[in-house]
Amino acid sequence: MSRQKKQGTSLLYQLIGEARTYDDAIIMGRGDPDFDTPEHIVAAAKEAMIHHHADYAPPQGLLALRQAIAERVKRVNGIDVDPETEVVVTNGGQEALFLMALAVTAPGDEMIVPEPNYNTYADSLAFAGGIKVDVPTYPETDFRADPQDVRRAVTDKTRALLLVSPNNPAASVISPDDMQAMLNIAVDHDLMILADDIYDLFVYDDFVHVSPASLPGGKERTLTLNALSKAYSMTGWRLGWIVGPADVMARVTELKAAVSGGASIISQYAGIAALTGPQEPVEQMAAAYRRRRRLVLDALDAMGMKYGLPQGGQFVFADIGFTGLDSAQVAQRMLTEQHVLAYPGAAFSKDRANYLRMTFLQPEDKLQEGLERMKTAMQNIMAEK
Amino acid sequence: MTSQTKADILKRHQANARLNVPLLPQVMQNSQDLSADGLASPLDERIIAAAAHALESGQTHYVDVPGIAPLRAALAEHLNSLSGASCQSASILVTAGMQESRFLTIQKISEQYEDIVIPAVVHPGLHKALGVRERKIASLPVDESKGFLPTIESMAQAARAGRRLFYLESPSRLSGAMYAADEVEAIHQIAVESESAVIWDQGLAAWIVGDYASLASCDSDLARTAVISDVWPGMGLASWFIGCIAAPEAWIAPMQSQKQIMAICTSTAAQYAALEAAQLYAESHPKRLRQLDRLRRALLETAHQAGFEAVDGDAVNILALKLPGQKAKTGLARLRQAGFEAAAGSLFGAPDIIRLNVGDSTAQAIQQIEGETA
Repeated sequence: MSRQKKQGTSLLYQLIGEARTYDDAIIMGRGDPDFDTPEHIVAAAKEAMIHHHADYAPPQGLLALRQAIAERVKRVNGIDVDPETEVVVTNGGQEALFLMALAVTAPGDEMIVPEPNYNTYADSLAFAGGIKVDVPTYPETDFRADPQDVRRAVTDKTRALLLVSPNNPAASVISPDDMQAMLNIAVDHDLMILADDIYDLFVYDDFVHVSPASLPGGKERTLTLNALSKAYSMTGWRLGWIVGPADVMARVTELKAAVSGGASIISQYAGIAALTGPQEPVEQMAAAYRRRRRLVLDALDAMGMKYGLPQGGQFVFADIGFTGLDSAQVAQRMLTEQHVLAYPGAAFSKDRANYLRMTFLQPEDKLQEGLERMKTAMQNIMAEK
Repeated sequence: MTSQTKADILKRHQANARLNVPLLPQVMQNSQDLSADGLASPLDERIIAAAAHALESGQTHYVDVPGIAPLRAALAEHLNSLSGASCQSASILVTAGMQESRFLTIQKISEQYEDIVIPAVVHPGLHKALGVRERKIASLPVDESKGFLPTIESMAQAARAGRRLFYLESPSRLSGAMYAADEVEAIHQIAVESESAVIWDQGLAAWIVGDYASLASCDSDLARTAVISDVWPGMGLASWFIGCIAAPEAWIAPMQSQKQIMAICTSTAAQYAALEAAQLYAESHPKRLRQLDRLRRALLETAHQAGFEAVDGDAVNILALKLPGQKAKTGLARLRQAGFEAAAGSLFGAPDIIRLNVGDSTAQAIQQIEGETA
């Protein structure tokens, strides 16, 4: 397969592979926070290695962890769940998404997903035999998912809505009114909701995150995923969760057992420490992301680039259409010529091949350097026009 | 709320008998839990130190989907030394445990075939993995006198009938019985002549005293074999969920993509722990093997004296007892009453069998069954 023809996940992995070959690469592609996992979490993992390395890990996860998750989703998301029956621990948010897709989708079922969207949603849904129905969003409204567009996309085959707020890659946040409207659509058409809340702690300015399961009548038809990866800088630990109504979660537990059995006991104890221990590191990281977001937006403004305002998340989705090249070509040139990795929009939407997703998961000096190099790459491209 | 959509979802899942097969615990839950796939084993402090050092030095981020390079190299080397294969790192995929290995191989390799042939008696985790997505399945009859392994002739017949993908366990996850070298060679010949592929679960090979015949010994460049296995069994990593697949690179690619979709990568702590365990395995495993071998021999004698028939098996970590009729059910109930857990053979497809882990409390468990059932 040629470089140009690679799409979605395989395209991203090809770029990641090339970036690794450059000693001076600046990674603004992958959603992997540059911070290491906070020390107290690593210390808890070490303790677990000594005292709990051979503990039995049930497929749904340790009860103590599920209790910590239940407390967290109550406190942060306003979702009431029973840790005994309504929480399943997963190998990261990615497995959570995969299990949710398997749980609610039968072959031929349709799932509505605002576009652009994270590339593996399509992969997970395809594995389950489902059909992803994209509802476009637009830069003019900062990629707002419009409930009216969602309602129009419902057919008699629609079984679920996948709501990602903050969105990846466009970083839009579904407003409280829009979230209520989305729930109304789900109720009116008897749909399940899959909610990806993984960036719920990263919301900027006056925007507000709302979990659909927290709304009246929402919990009964919503599966909500989250993970420790982004908030606690724990991507390598592979720990996430799904919460939802007990009857569906019983099926999710069976699927979890079938797919991978359980989650690493050490990661689970680390997860307990993360959720129940000091939260200052999370706040410090969030503050850093706020500063970096401003830095990136200022640089893009200075370059005259357009973007959807990142209302949340850890990235910005910027328009590179002015170059006359598609995003895969621009990303490739930025990487090969300037050793800066950003993700092409084509990996997230066929209609957004003129966008790049840039994460701000690098220290500020590196980000600054990356943006300078990006500017050079753009100037080189424009000089050839 | 009355939701027809939710009711349909629940009905579909509840009707899925394979998916709802109970999974055995990955490790003993306590000293009287003899039902687990893995033994509770001590963890060498050097493994703790290595894993902790990796975490403390910042190995807390995503790593390569197929696993960290040195671990893949160590696993390839281990497979090669065990079986005489010539496997390279590129043929290794590190997984989040044995069940993920089953799931990835079953679901992805089977996409290339019309159906999959599985033993009539097999680990319940296989049925569970198959239950996630519908696959056409054919069953291979097993020979009870050979520890419930499928007969070579049944495989030949299936191949003649046009079946092209086989799933085999050696040693058997129920009895611990393994194929002899000449039988493995015969399986290989069937695979070659019929151009078939084989998923070969050799997770219990670590518990064989003496020579072990792997299908990878015959198919040394892994042209048509996917080997799945636990990683360094007995080294205290059962609850860390780490396993591996060795397969032709052309098969690894789609499984790697699927792994990325499902989980991105395997926990870094588990991978660095496994890497250290690779260094210590040769030093500590033989001693454990000898201890278990002695213990199992004594248990066989105990079982014999109690009037039980033990199923022929080679792996020293498990002991399968035959209790015909209702006796297995009664025996399991008596064990539970006395605080013990054992693996019911019915989960594997052999309702007359009870599988026990070999451990310090196994003799006591056998005595508990003895009362009414022997």
